Amino acid sequence: MDAHATVAHATLDGEGLLLAAEFPFGELNARAGGAIARPLALAPVATVARLARRLGIIVSRGVVVADEEADLELWVRAQPDGDGVRLAISGWRERSAWAPVDGVDESHPDFLRDHGDWAWEADAGLRLTRVSIEAGRRHGFDAIGLLGEPITSLFALATSNGAVPLVEALARREPLKGQPAKLRSNDTPVLLSATVRRDAAGRFGGFVGLVHEEPPAPAAPPPPLAAEFTAGLDKALRRPLAQIIANADSINAATDGPVPPDYADYAADIANAGRHLLALVDDLVDLEAIERPDFLLAAEPIDLADVARRAAGLLAVRAIDKDVVIDRPPTGTQLAAVGDFRRSLQILVNLIGNAVRYAPAGSIVVVSAVSGAGRASITVTDEGKGIAAEDQARVFDKFERVDPTEAGGNGLGLYIARRLARAMGGDITLTSTPGQGARFTLTLPAGAA
Amino acid sequence: MSVGSHPTNEAAARAGVLGDPRLEETITDFFLPDDSRLDERARLLLGSVLGSIVGAVEADVRRHAARLLSGRGADRKADALLAARTDVLARLSAAGLLRDSELMEELLGRVRAELLADALPVAIDMPDAPSLLVRLTALPDTVVAAAATALLVQENRRGNLVEHKHAVGAELPAELHHRLVWWVAAAIREGVAADADTDRAIGEAAQRSLAAHDESERVEAVAVRLAAAIDPLPDEVPVLMVEAIGDRRLSLFIAVLARALDIDFDAARALVIEPRGERLWPALRAVGLDRPSIARIALSLADADPRRDIEQFADQLDGIAAIAAEAARAALAPLSLPRSFRSAIRALARSAQG
Repeated sequence: MDAHATVAHATLDGEGLLLAAEFPFGELNARAGGAIARPLALAPVATVARLARRLGIIVSRGVVVADEEADLELWVRAQPDGDGVRLAISGWRERSAWAPVDGVDESHPDFLRDHGDWAWEADAGLRLTRVSIEAGRRHGFDAIGLLGEPITSLFALATSNGAVPLVEALARREPLKGQPAKLRSNDTPVLLSATVRRDAAGRFGGFVGLVHEEPPAPAAPPPPLAAEFTAGLDKALRRPLAQIIANADSINAATDGPVPPDYADYAADIANAGRHLLALVDDLVDLEAIERPDFLLAAEPIDLADVARRAAGLLAVRAIDKDVVIDRPPTGTQLAAVGDFRRSLQILVNLIGNAVRYAPAGSIVVVSAVSGAGRASITVTDEGKGIAAEDQARVFDKFERVDPTEAGGNGLGLYIARRLARAMGGDITLTSTPGQGARFTLTLPAGAA
Repeated sequence: MSVGSHPTNEAAARAGVLGDPRLEETITDFFLPDDSRLDERARLLLGSVLGSIVGAVEADVRRHAARLLSGRGADRKADALLAARTDVLARLSAAGLLRDSELMEELLGRVRAELLADALPVAIDMPDAPSLLVRLTALPDTVVAAAATALLVQENRRGNLVEHKHAVGAELPAELHHRLVWWVAAAIREGVAADADTDRAIGEAAQRSLAAHDESERVEAVAVRLAAAIDPLPDEVPVLMVEAIGDRRLSLFIAVLARALDIDFDAARALVIEPRGERLWPALRAVGLDRPSIARIALSLADADPRRDIEQFADQLDGIAAIAAEAARAALAPLSLPRSFRSAIRALARSAQG
C-alpha cells in the first residue's frame, strides 16, 4: 500500500466530538490520546474541522502532527455536513521531528534573484504566467507573446538519465530540479528548477521556476570538495589544531606546575576534541584526493602480514586503555600482496581502530592473514555488538555511521578505506551477526611470494 | 573663555537643550498602532517601487534634455547635465515633496495589494486546466480575450519591475505622474549650473514625458477594462470574484468589485487591503455575495495576511451574512463619489481637525 495515497475518513458531530474514524487516522488519534465520542486529540486537525463548521464551507489545509518519534504531514479536507463535519485525511508523509519547521521559502522572489538567472511561472495547466522580459531581449524571444502559452513553447525539454524531471516532479508534486532544456529561440542550453505551488488541498497549482544558464556539464560533475578548498583547510587548520592539542596535553600533564584536577580533565577533553578535528582534516584531504578522477595508487610488492602487525602495534596503547587484546599475525608469517604500503597501513589502522573502539572490555580483537585464489586477505574480527544486516551496506557510505550518537568517528573512515582498497584493485567486505561481533576483511591482489 | 564663544561648544550646548531630534521620531514610531505601521516587506517594496518610478522619470527627462541641448549645439551643457550626480530621490524626500498624501496613498495601496496578491494561496477547481486569466485570453470573444491578454502582460511587466528594479511604462495615475515629473525636473535643474538653455531643454523634456504617459497601460486600468469587457451579470459576480481570488489575480478581483459597486478601483482596493475588513464584508454583501462565498474569500485573504484573524471573522460571519444588500449599498454610497471629490472632502476634514 502506498501510504501517501491513503485517504482516511472521519466524522465529527456538532460539538466537535469524534463519531467515527477510519484506519490509520483513528489509530493516529488514539496514539495522541483521543477516542470515539471525545474531542479530536490532534489539535491542528481539530482547528481545520472547527473552522469548516464555523465558516460553513470546505476548508482544506496542510497540517503537521506529532506521532511518536516523527512528525506527519497531512492534508486535511473538512466539509460541513449538517451540524457536523466530514474529514478526509491524506498525505501521510513522515518527516523527522527535528527538521526545522520553516525552511527557506524558495519561491520567494528575493530567493529567486539571488540564486538563479531568471524567473518563470506556470499555472496548473502548464501555461506560462510569467516570463522574464529582460531574458527575452537577450535571447530573442517574445516574452509578452509567450504568456498564456504552454511552457514547451519557450523550452524544449530534454531527458536526464532517461527521464523527464518535469514529468516526475508533476507526478510526485515535488520541486523540480535539474531539468535540462534548450531555449526554443536560440538553442541556449539551460537547466530549469521550480518549486510547486499547491492549493490548500495539496493539488498541483503550478510551478514557480528559475532558469539557470550555462548549466554545469552533466558528463563531469565537479568533485564534491574542491582541491583548493581542502588544501586551504589543511593549511589553515593543521597548525593551530596541533598547537591547541600540544598545549592542552601539557596542561593535562601539569608540566608547568600543579593544575586543579577538573581543569586537567577539561584540558584532556580539549586535546581529544582537537585530535578528532585533526583526523577530520586528514580525512577530508583524503576524500578530496580519492574522488579526483585521476586518483591512482602505487602498485608495489608489500608484505600485508607485516603491514597488519605494524597497524596493530600503532593501536597497542589504545587497546591497553580499553582493556582489549589485539591478536596479531605471528612474527615471521608473510603475506605477499600488491598495493601501496602507506595506504594499506592506513586502511588496517582504520579497521583495527574501529574494532578496538567497539570491542567490549576484556575481549580479543583477532587480526588474521589468509591467502589463496590470487588474493591476499587480512581479516579483523571483534566481539562487539555487531552490525545489523540492513546497516551493513550503509557503513561504507560517506558520512554514515551505524549509531550517530556514539562518540568518536566522523563517518568518513570506512568510506575512504573502501575507496582506497578498490583503487588498489582490492576491496573491503563485512560479515556480521548482531550480538556476535563484526568481521571486516581487506583483500588485495596477491604478490609473488 | 566663555563656553558660548567656542563654535563646537555652542553646537554641544544647543544639542543639550534640544536633545536628539531623532528621539522624537523614534518615539512616534514606537507608539504607532500596528495597523498603521508598515511591516518590513511593505517598507522595502515601497522604497523599491518609489525608487524605480522616480529613477525612470529622471532618466527620461535627463537624457532627453541632454539630447535637445546637444542638438542645439550645446554639447558641454548636455555633458554637464548627463554627468551631474544628483540623488533626485533623496532630494525630493528631503524636501518633503514625496510626503504628498495622494501619491503615498496610491503607492501604499499598490504595494499592500501586491504583497497580498503575492501571498494568496492558489485554489484549483479543475486539475491540470489552465488558470482563469489564461482561459480568458483564449475566449472567442475578442474584447475579453484582448483585455485578459493585456492584464497578463501588465502583471508580468510589473513582476519584472520588482525583479529588475527599473520601471518601463506607466506606473502612476496621470495627475500624480504630472506632479512627479515637474518635481523631478526641478531637482535635476538644481543639480546643474542652470542657465536659460538648460532650463528650456529640461522643461521640454518633462513635457515630452507627460505627453508620452498613458495611464491606460497601468495594471489597475487594464484590470478595470477586463472587468468591463467581461461585464458580469449580477449573479455571475460572486463566481467570478471567487475564481479571481483563487487564481491569485487580486487586481481582477478588485476591478470586478469596483465595477459591481460602481466605485473607483482605488476605493475598492482600499476596502480589500484593510486587514480587519470592516468595510469589505458589507461591500461583498452589497454586490450580492452569499455566506459561503464571503467565507471563502475571507479564508483566502486570511491565509495571505497574518494580521487577519479568521477566528474573529468566523464570530462575525452570521452578522455579516444577515446584512441586507440594499442597506450595505446605502452605507457604501460615499465611496461612489469621484476620487478627486473624495480627496477634497478628506482634505477639508483634515484642515478642520488641524
